[in-house]
Amino acid sequence: MAINSASNLFHAGRSLLRGLNGSYLGMLISPQETTCNSLLAQQIRTFIQMRTNLKVVDNSGAKRVMCIQALKGKKGARLGDTIVASVKEAQPGGKVKKGQVVYGVVVRAAMQKGRSDGSEVKFDDNAVVLVNKQGEPIGTRVFGPVPHELRKKKHVKILSLAQHIA
Amino acid sequence: MRLEKCWFCSSTIYPGHGIQFVRNDAKIFRFCRSKCHKNFKMKRNPRKVKWTKAYRRLHGKDMTQDATFEFERKRNRPERYDRNLTENTLKAIKVIDKVRSRREETHIKNRMKGKKSKITKEALKELDQQIHMIKAPGAMVKDASATTSAKVTVKVQHDTDENRMEE
Repeated sequence: MAINSASNLFHAGRSLLRGLNGSYLGMLISPQETTCNSLLAQQIRTFIQMRTNLKVVDNSGAKRVMCIQALKGKKGARLGDTIVASVKEAQPGGKVKKGQVVYGVVVRAAMQKGRSDGSEVKFDDNAVVLVNKQGEPIGTRVFGPVPHELRKKKHVKILSLAQHIA
Repeated sequence: MRLEKCWFCSSTIYPGHGIQFVRNDAKIFRFCRSKCHKNFKMKRNPRKVKWTKAYRRLHGKDMTQDATFEFERKRNRPERYDRNLTENTLKAIKVIDKVRSRREETHIKNRMKGKKSKITKEALKELDQQIHMIKAPGAMVKDASATTSAKVTVKVQHDTDENRMEE
């Protein structure tokens, strides 16, 4: 009697577990989907750190640059900061060559930066203007919008070359 | 300090609120809150999203043309500071706001007009059909004065009462 009841209980328990497992698996799929969807809908933009690819928006000759070091900032560089970068892609007859280590000023960052009036600005991509050690731009033209945060960081020359100040 | 308009919902963005998104073609999109920002990222057209001002203006739900809108045009020329001018402007803002909101209300009221016959018809229908929600059917039968309309033929079923007694 006892054994029978025990076996019955055991079977009941097993089927319960199976049912539970089945529902659990079903539940597992949906939250994963929702998290994937939420991640796709909202990209969390962060700092510019080592290995970040940036677009070069001046006519210094480089096209793409990879950040090696973000000077100032433990977590990484933000809008208006200077970085050390390695040229990954360059135009054939430019002032900089591929593989060269250069300094750059971040002029557009996808991560939002807070402004003094409390609002936040963000750009469409990560872009950099190559500068020399003194902070003067290597190129003679700058493309696209630049933020006026550069004025505070004393990059006046870049601002003067800019087409549009955001 | 400048009060901007949200690109998506057209509400005013006060200082300290919202996010500015600068696209690479130098077009600036200002959003009042993350709701509008997220809708923008989803590439929704504000003219198709029901709760935005753009939709309401487009579909004639809200006032489109009015003289009071001329006062709020964007002026890029800075005015020289003049205390009297500022004082008068502040007073004018209050008055213009009152006038504009009053006109908007009348616009909406005019839009909602012409429904009186429809409302009364619906009410009558509801009274005929849904009276059981308020008064129990049994009560209606017993108390003839409690019925709603003048002409109500109530079938008084004595049979059910007898059956109840038997059980």
